[in-house]
Amino acid sequence: MSSVSESLTPTLLTVEDLHVHFKTDDGLAQAVRGVSLDLLQGETLGIVGESGSGKSVTNLALMGLVPKPPGHVKAKRIDYRGQELLGLSQRRFSRIRGRKIAMVFQDPMTSLNPFLTIAEQMTEVTRRHLGHSRKEALAHAIEMLERVGIPAASRRIRGYPHEFSGGMRQRVMIAMALSCDPDLLIADEPTTALDVTVQAQVLELMKDLQRQRGTSIILITHDLGVIANICHRVLVMYAGRIVEEAEVDSLFANPRHPYTRGLLTSVPTLDGTESSGYAPSPPAPLPEGEGRTRRSRLTPIEGQPPDMASLPPGCSFAPRCPLRQPPCDTTDPPLFPRGDYGRHACLVEAHRNGPVEAAKEL
Amino acid sequence: MTKMPVSAPNSFADSAASSSDAPILDVRNLHVHFPSGGGVFTERRFIRAVDGVSFRVFPGETFAIVGESGCGKSTTARAILNLVPPTSGEVYIDGHRVDRLGDEAMRPMRRLAQMIFQDPFSSLNPRMTVGGIIREPMRIFGLGSPREQKLEVMRLMETVGLNPRLMNRYPHEFSGGQRQRIGVARALAVKPKVILCDEPVSSLDVSIQAQVVNLLQDLQEQFGLAYVFIAHDLAVVRHIAHRVGVMYLGRIVEEAPAEQLYTDPRHPYTKALMAAVPHPDTVRERQRDQQPLGGEPPSPEEVFIGCRFAERCPLADFECFRIDPPLEGEEHRTACIRVESE
Repeated sequence: MSSVSESLTPTLLTVEDLHVHFKTDDGLAQAVRGVSLDLLQGETLGIVGESGSGKSVTNLALMGLVPKPPGHVKAKRIDYRGQELLGLSQRRFSRIRGRKIAMVFQDPMTSLNPFLTIAEQMTEVTRRHLGHSRKEALAHAIEMLERVGIPAASRRIRGYPHEFSGGMRQRVMIAMALSCDPDLLIADEPTTALDVTVQAQVLELMKDLQRQRGTSIILITHDLGVIANICHRVLVMYAGRIVEEAEVDSLFANPRHPYTRGLLTSVPTLDGTESSGYAPSPPAPLPEGEGRTRRSRLTPIEGQPPDMASLPPGCSFAPRCPLRQPPCDTTDPPLFPRGDYGRHACLVEAHRNGPVEAAKEL
Repeated sequence: MTKMPVSAPNSFADSAASSSDAPILDVRNLHVHFPSGGGVFTERRFIRAVDGVSFRVFPGETFAIVGESGCGKSTTARAILNLVPPTSGEVYIDGHRVDRLGDEAMRPMRRLAQMIFQDPFSSLNPRMTVGGIIREPMRIFGLGSPREQKLEVMRLMETVGLNPRLMNRYPHEFSGGQRQRIGVARALAVKPKVILCDEPVSSLDVSIQAQVVNLLQDLQEQFGLAYVFIAHDLAVVRHIAHRVGVMYLGRIVEEAPAEQLYTDPRHPYTKALMAAVPHPDTVRERQRDQQPLGGEPPSPEEVFIGCRFAERCPLADFECFRIDPPLEGEEHRTACIRVESE
C-alpha cells in the first residue's frame, strides 16, 4: 500500500482504525475517525490538513498523550515494532516516550521550562532514559547542541530558554528530542513559528539527522511547501479522516481528492505560477506593467470546515465540494486505491475511473 | 453597497474621483525607538524598532511591507496610526500631518485610516454582538441615525460575505475566517481611504486565507481603497501587492513594484529571503537553490555604522561595515553599495 520497498524496509509503526473523540458541551466531537497508517524505517511521513482536521490529535494518541477524560481513544491496534501501545500503562508508556519516540512541538517557548537551564532540562532526559551520570549527561547534551548547530554550546547550555532566539530554541528542542537517539521523531508544526530563513535551517537539520541516523519522522504541517521539501509520503486529513495518501511526487503531480486539489489551488506561490490541483483556467499569466488589475485571483475552497460535533451523514467534504453528486450526501466514502500505492476517499473520482477502482475499495 | 445611507463628507465616490497623484499616506524618515533596560548601573539603551523608514502609498494601491519577525514592520503600521508614538519623522494621511497629534486631534484621522489585525480571536470584543462590533465605529464618529447604522451594518455584513441575520451572534460563534471578515467590516464602517492590514491572513488556514485575500482585493476594486499590507509570507504578498518594501532590522532595504521585485530581486537579503521559501510542488522545490542564509538577525539594540545586513551578507566586504547604504533608485530602490541601482 505504501511503498515498493515495503518488503525490504521494516515497518516501524502500524496504526489500524484509530478513533479519538472528546466529550464537549456541544456533544461528542469526533476528532479522529478511523485513521490507519504505516510508517517505514527512515521515512518521513507528512500529515497535512487544516486546523481541526485531527492531525495533531492523531499524534497525541500515538504518544499516549490524549487527556482522558474528556478524550477517548480506540483502535484495532497501534503496533510499534511488534509492541502494542494501546492500553499501555502510563508508567510503561513513559519508558518509550522520550526514549524511542520523541516529540517536537510548534512553540519552543512553551515546551521548555522557563525556570530551568537548558543543561538541567537536557540532562534530565538522558539520565532518566539512558542512566547517564550527571557528567556523562552534560557532555552528551553539549555534543547534541553542537550537532544541531548551536554556537558556543558548552557556554550557552548554562543559559535559560529566554536567552535563546526562536530558531535556537527550536534547535534546542530538536537536540533534546534526539538526545536518546529515538527511532521515531514526531514533529508537530516544528517550523510554523519560525521565520523562513530559520525554517530553511531547521528543515536542513532534520534531513541531515535523518540521513545520519535513519530516524523515521512524522511531520505534521499545514504548509505544502514544507511537505514538498522534506516528506517522502503524505497523508491528507480532513474532518478526522484520511482523505488521500500518496507518495509526495504523486500527490503534487496528480492529486485525486477534491480537497487536496482545493488546498493546492488555494496557496499562492512565490513565482506566481499556480500549483497543481484543478487549475480551472490555464495558469494565470502575470503580465508586466503596473496595471492595477493584473493580479490573479486565488481559488479558495468555498465554505467552512464542518463542526466536528455534528458531521454531515455522507462525505464530510461534500458541502464544500465542487464535484459533489447525490450519493456523496449519504455515503461516507471508503478509501479507494489510487493505483500508485496511494489511497483516496472520493466516490466521484473512484467512479470516474470506471467500476474497477470503485469496486476495489480498501 | 453602492448607495451609502450614512452621510460622509469624504465618501468613496469622492476619493475615487480625486487625483491619484497625491499619496493617501506619506511616511517620511520614521523612527520608533523603545527604551530598553538601563538601570542605576547600566547605560540606558534603545531598541531601534523602526530606524528611518520612508514610503508613500497612493489611492487604490496595495503597498506591502515584508520581513521577518522583529524587523519593525508591525511597529511601522502602529506608529502610522499613533498607536505607538513615533520618536521622529513625519506621517501624512491624506495630506494631514498626524505624527504629533494627541488622542483627541488624532480621532478624525482614524476615520481616514483603519486597521485590521492578525488575530481575529483577540481583536474582537467577546461580549459584544457582531452587529454591535461593526456598528461601534459609526457610533463613535456619530455617523447616521441608529436606524441608518443598523441598515449599514447589514449592508457591510453582506459586502464581506457574512449573513446579516447573524448580527446578533457573538464572535465565539464564528470561525477564524469569518471573524476576520467581521474585522474587515468593522474597518470599512467609517469608510476609510486606507486600511493598514497587519498580517491579516497569517493565522488562517490556507483555504480560508484565499477567501479573505480575494475579499480584500474585491473591496479594493469596489471602493478604491489603499492598503498597507504587513506580512511575512512572500507568496501572499506577491499575490496581493502592487508595490513591496522589504524590511530588515528597522529599515526598508529594497522597494519595487511587486512584479519587478519578484522577478529581479537585487538586495542580497531579499534574494536570501526568497530563496528560503519552499515551493508547494516537488518538481519546483527540487529545482530551488537551497542555500539557507546563515546566522540570525542581530539585536535591534545594536548601533550600526555600516550596513545592518553586512554580517550575514555573502557579498559584504570591509566597506559594507563602514558605509550605511542609502535607499537609492527611482522605481526600484535598493540599499546596498554592492548592487548597481538603476
